[in-house]
Amino acid sequence: MASLSEEVLLVVKKVRQRKQDGTLYLMAERIAWGPEGKDRFTVSHLYSDIRCQKISPDGKAKVQLQLVLHTGESTTFHFANESTALKDREAAKELLQQLLPKFKKKANKELEEKNRMLQEDPVLFQLYKDLVVSQVISAEEFWANRLGGLNNAEPAPYTNKQEVGISGAFLADIRPQTDGCNGLRYNLTTDIIESIFRTYPAVKQKYSENVPHNLTEKEFWTRFFQSHYFHRDRINTGTQDIFSECAKQDEKGLKSLVNKGVKNPLVDLLSLEDKTLDEGYGIKQALPSTSNSNKTVKESSNAAIIKRFNHHSAMVLAAGARKNEVPADQASETSSTDGNSRDSDFFQPPVKKVKLQEAIEYEDLQRENRQKTVALNLKKSDRYAHGPVPLQSQKYTTSQDIINAVNCIRHEMANYKPNLTQVMSSTAASSAVAALSPGGVLMQGGAQQAINQMVPSDIQGELKHLYVAAGELLRHFWSCFPVNTSFLEEKVIKMKSNLERFQMTKLSPFKEKLQRQYLGTNLTGHLEEMLQTAYSKFHIWQTRRMMRKT
Amino acid sequence: MKLNIEGLLVYFPYDYIYPEQYSYMLELKRTLDAKGHGVLEMPSGTGKTISLLSLIVAYQRAFPLDVTKLIYCSRTVPEIEKVVEELRKLMEFYAKETGEVNNFLALALSSRKNLCIHPEVSALRFGKEVDGKCHSLTASYIRAQRHSNPDQPVCRFYEEFDSVGRQVPLPAGIYNLDDLKDFGRRKGWCPYYLARYSILHANIVVYSYHYLLDPKIADLVSKELAKKSVVVFDEAHNIDNVCIDSMSVNITRRTLDRCQNNVDTLQHTIQRIKDTDAAKLREEYRRLVEGLKEANVARETDVYLANPVLPDEILQEAVPGSIRTAEHFLGFLRRFLEYLKSRLRVQHVVQESAPQFLKDIFEKVCIDRKPLRFCAERLQSLLRTLEIADIADFSAVTLISNFATLVSTYSLGFTIIIEPFDDRTPTIANPVLHFSCMDPSIAIKPVFQRFQSVVITSGTLSPLDIYPKILDFRPVTMASFTMTLARTCLCPLIVGRGNDQVALSSKFETREDFAVIRNYGNLLLEMSAIVPDGIVAFFTSYVYMENIVASWYEQGILENIQRNKLIFIETPDAAETSMALEKYQEACENGRGAILLSVARGKVSEGIDFVHHFGRAVIMFGVPYVYTQSRILKARLEYLRDQFQIRENDFLTFDAMRHAAQCVGRAIRGKTDYGLMIFADKRYARADKRGKLPRWIQEHINDGSLNLTVDETVQLSKHFLRQMAQPFRQEDQLGLSLLTLEQLQSEEMLKRITQIAHQA
Repeated sequence: MASLSEEVLLVVKKVRQRKQDGTLYLMAERIAWGPEGKDRFTVSHLYSDIRCQKISPDGKAKVQLQLVLHTGESTTFHFANESTALKDREAAKELLQQLLPKFKKKANKELEEKNRMLQEDPVLFQLYKDLVVSQVISAEEFWANRLGGLNNAEPAPYTNKQEVGISGAFLADIRPQTDGCNGLRYNLTTDIIESIFRTYPAVKQKYSENVPHNLTEKEFWTRFFQSHYFHRDRINTGTQDIFSECAKQDEKGLKSLVNKGVKNPLVDLLSLEDKTLDEGYGIKQALPSTSNSNKTVKESSNAAIIKRFNHHSAMVLAAGARKNEVPADQASETSSTDGNSRDSDFFQPPVKKVKLQEAIEYEDLQRENRQKTVALNLKKSDRYAHGPVPLQSQKYTTSQDIINAVNCIRHEMANYKPNLTQVMSSTAASSAVAALSPGGVLMQGGAQQAINQMVPSDIQGELKHLYVAAGELLRHFWSCFPVNTSFLEEKVIKMKSNLERFQMTKLSPFKEKLQRQYLGTNLTGHLEEMLQTAYSKFHIWQTRRMMRKT
Repeated sequence: MKLNIEGLLVYFPYDYIYPEQYSYMLELKRTLDAKGHGVLEMPSGTGKTISLLSLIVAYQRAFPLDVTKLIYCSRTVPEIEKVVEELRKLMEFYAKETGEVNNFLALALSSRKNLCIHPEVSALRFGKEVDGKCHSLTASYIRAQRHSNPDQPVCRFYEEFDSVGRQVPLPAGIYNLDDLKDFGRRKGWCPYYLARYSILHANIVVYSYHYLLDPKIADLVSKELAKKSVVVFDEAHNIDNVCIDSMSVNITRRTLDRCQNNVDTLQHTIQRIKDTDAAKLREEYRRLVEGLKEANVARETDVYLANPVLPDEILQEAVPGSIRTAEHFLGFLRRFLEYLKSRLRVQHVVQESAPQFLKDIFEKVCIDRKPLRFCAERLQSLLRTLEIADIADFSAVTLISNFATLVSTYSLGFTIIIEPFDDRTPTIANPVLHFSCMDPSIAIKPVFQRFQSVVITSGTLSPLDIYPKILDFRPVTMASFTMTLARTCLCPLIVGRGNDQVALSSKFETREDFAVIRNYGNLLLEMSAIVPDGIVAFFTSYVYMENIVASWYEQGILENIQRNKLIFIETPDAAETSMALEKYQEACENGRGAILLSVARGKVSEGIDFVHHFGRAVIMFGVPYVYTQSRILKARLEYLRDQFQIRENDFLTFDAMRHAAQCVGRAIRGKTDYGLMIFADKRYARADKRGKLPRWIQEHINDGSLNLTVDETVQLSKHFLRQMAQPFRQEDQLGLSLLTLEQLQSEEMLKRITQIAHQA
């Protein structure tokens, strides 16, 4: 068989493909089929290549399963075992149903990601063209550590797509329809189910606890719709209802939400009143404490509805916001490690202050409506001004030093007296000035400046690309050191050959081109130098390895 | 900018000014000049507070001898803090303009719960607990005991304050509640007592109504405030109810049982003290013979704010002999208690006046009027003598003795109603004795008498003339200001009919009518589809809202609304409602949009603003009449008719309309804000209702929008919202509703400004 390490999830015998009997294998990452009596697969598709599966209708004589690939090709399997054909097909279908979405997402996501990166980054695209399209290195190699780097730096602002919230009325969308014979039909879609799960985690938990083992999915939802949990106005009747626990949990959740209090003091009704009247004073009599017992059923059901709506809305809101909260938490955690946070509440005005200021502000009475900016919170402004400094070299010049130095110079300048007896002769002085002027003997280096005028811009562009490509390759090469695994060994050898190939196919033609155009300056010298360094490093490493081996 | 208000230099901390602010300051200055009282109505969001502060601070600086102090009363803690922040802004402007640090001291005062920094005490959740715990650590005899017993826990912050805090006055500056706490922490002083002490010499004090209007608190806190103060009641549209609440007492069986326990405890304590330290009781007796002369001296020299619970006559006399010794007084209390218990054993409703009650008590248990009047004072003295640690435990007996004093002091303005059961649950015996104040002027009278100028102001005080009537004072200025607008940013619409022509009304007869409920639902549904962000809907009462929500739920209307917006609903539980409110704001903030169903007269309608996108539309379902079947209300209406010649219906409508105006006014908090105000009841179209809305709302109701159907409302709203969504820049306002200094000084503008104030 092709590879030993693959896990086989399902084996179905007697499956025909192109009128040939064979065996169908479903493995961890691909689906494969091999004709009977041969030990190789004639058909093998990675799950990520499969777009969808299709099955023949139940009534048909042939029990078939068709796989449609992204490329548009399709493969049809015919389940030929008379007695169990249908069952076999179902098993294969079920398994595929579970497997395909996983890979689909992954594949699409990766492809999309690559595509997006190439589109957004022209330099990268050029690099891709230089290296991959011209087959200096393979696409996998190219992406290998690009994507890795990208995956780590996940929360880039543009990758963070806005989460789609939940419709507030998702329960309204499943209005029951009478089916004509004293029954009700509820139409559930996966969207609605997901909404229910996201809004009511307790139901989701119940679902995962019960569904495959105790109840079928259908039974579960039937019970859900029958429960008082769904019809909140019905007062709790039975306790055997599996959802009564959910109701309790919700109640608890609501209570904890309430107990948490509110952040904005302006809406905190509890602390609104400054001084309440003592008990027994006032016109409005307090509600008798026994009110719960003598409340009518209708009243308490009304109260339950109101509670439910508040809870429902809060949960819908929370479900939409949940995703965003997590990074915020992380951010606050990380910021607390940098030592600044200890007294951060001294710097950041508390919510209350901000809200109060907002409340008293009359924006139209002020003259300039300046844009609101975020205040920069600096604890050590020194550190900000000088940037991070390695620990050893702490001898940076402080601003005080600089001021002192300037003062010193100014002082010296003020007291400067030309000593006229020891000055140079005028001819010597003028020749020195000439030598130091641009174009003079001592300013030969100034010719370098002209390079952008000397070289035509297309050559410049090409050179830039070469530099980028070479840099990329060298980065791959150098990242292999120290070579301590066999994988790295392989890679470093490959990289060396890549570099050589690069020199052959890219650099040398460019050099020749330069010579053809009689551009005297040695533009590629530095590139070659870099490559040489890499080669010599490689040789050192290789000789060492040889020595170790012998 | 610097303004010239009839010769007074006023620093105004903004570059522009609204014309109505200028007009408001003019009226305010005239009030102060006349040393009289004023009633000023100015729309919310037009910078009322900053105008008030700017003018009064300028006045104080110009005439330091005429106005020594500003006492600014507001309703809620956030309001108080907002005022202080605005004041800070003003003072910063002063410092910048004049270049000198001025020596103004301004501070906010709040209850212990908001000011305590004691680690254990401040951790308690309820104000009452905090007060009780604080008292048990700071009462004078507790601290005296510490001398003999060093283990006695005391509050170190109070100790520190007591030993050094009074020597140096609080440095000049603006102290909000948090600033006081910070200062207290730095110095190790108790911020609450520091603030209470400092209000005596502060230039500006900001605190809640109760510190002036509730006699029990006012006596402790505000007694010694200078006479030449200006008192401002902001958000004063409900001031009569605050007054009444502070003077009314309810007594239930539970109160009496607890009172009985209190009396027993007192008995034991007295017995114990008698065995150990009889001298203490003798000392108290001597003091009582001396009488309350000291208080009398103080009041005569006009140092104290009069306490309505402590009438003048009491001060001139000594405590009557019959209740002078502790045992006699306890016996007296027992008799009184038994009498009250017998009164609660009724089968039918009894209503009587205070003199009738006194006559009855004299006949039945031979209690005279005179000792009853001294009851509250006598009990305080006893509690002090007995060194009771936790006053909170004795709230029941304090309540009873306050009741005794009140009922024997006022023959007019109060009524006694004894109900054997609650009207809604006639089968359950739950007797209550309501001693209810019907005359708000009793509580506020000392304020008007004592202070030189009292200004009552709010966004909704219409009709203006009713407040002087019910509070019984003679204002020198009464004015209502309109809102000058560059664009009509409010859109009041009266929806009288559903699409099926059913008349919409919350009146009692059609309350249960499904057609009305359905049409209300349709209105909300349609609005939820066209209004961006937040919608706030108010119902007339909680029960009504519950019923409507239930039937909307049954009819599936709520589910359809949910397609457009999330729904949040006010509940009787304040914590739950706070949560709902915050979530509501979150939903408006993140663009999902939400609807808040709430109740007029509820906490939300009184204290929460829905600025900008938090409230793009307010829908008022029905006219929020008070529950008219209550006997207390009936008695009050009768009293108003007899004493002030205010007809029942006028008062009821006035009360309903001020609450409706409060509700719809919640959405407009400034000229850049905009919002729909939908009155969903055909009765709003009537002149007597409409006429009682504030002028700044009234003048935008045109005749075409008096009896709209739901569809027409939607059309008009769409149009309005589309117009309002256009960018609105400062330049659009300039010269019309926003003025520079030059524009303000022009002749023509000054002429226009005189028309803004509408004298009542």
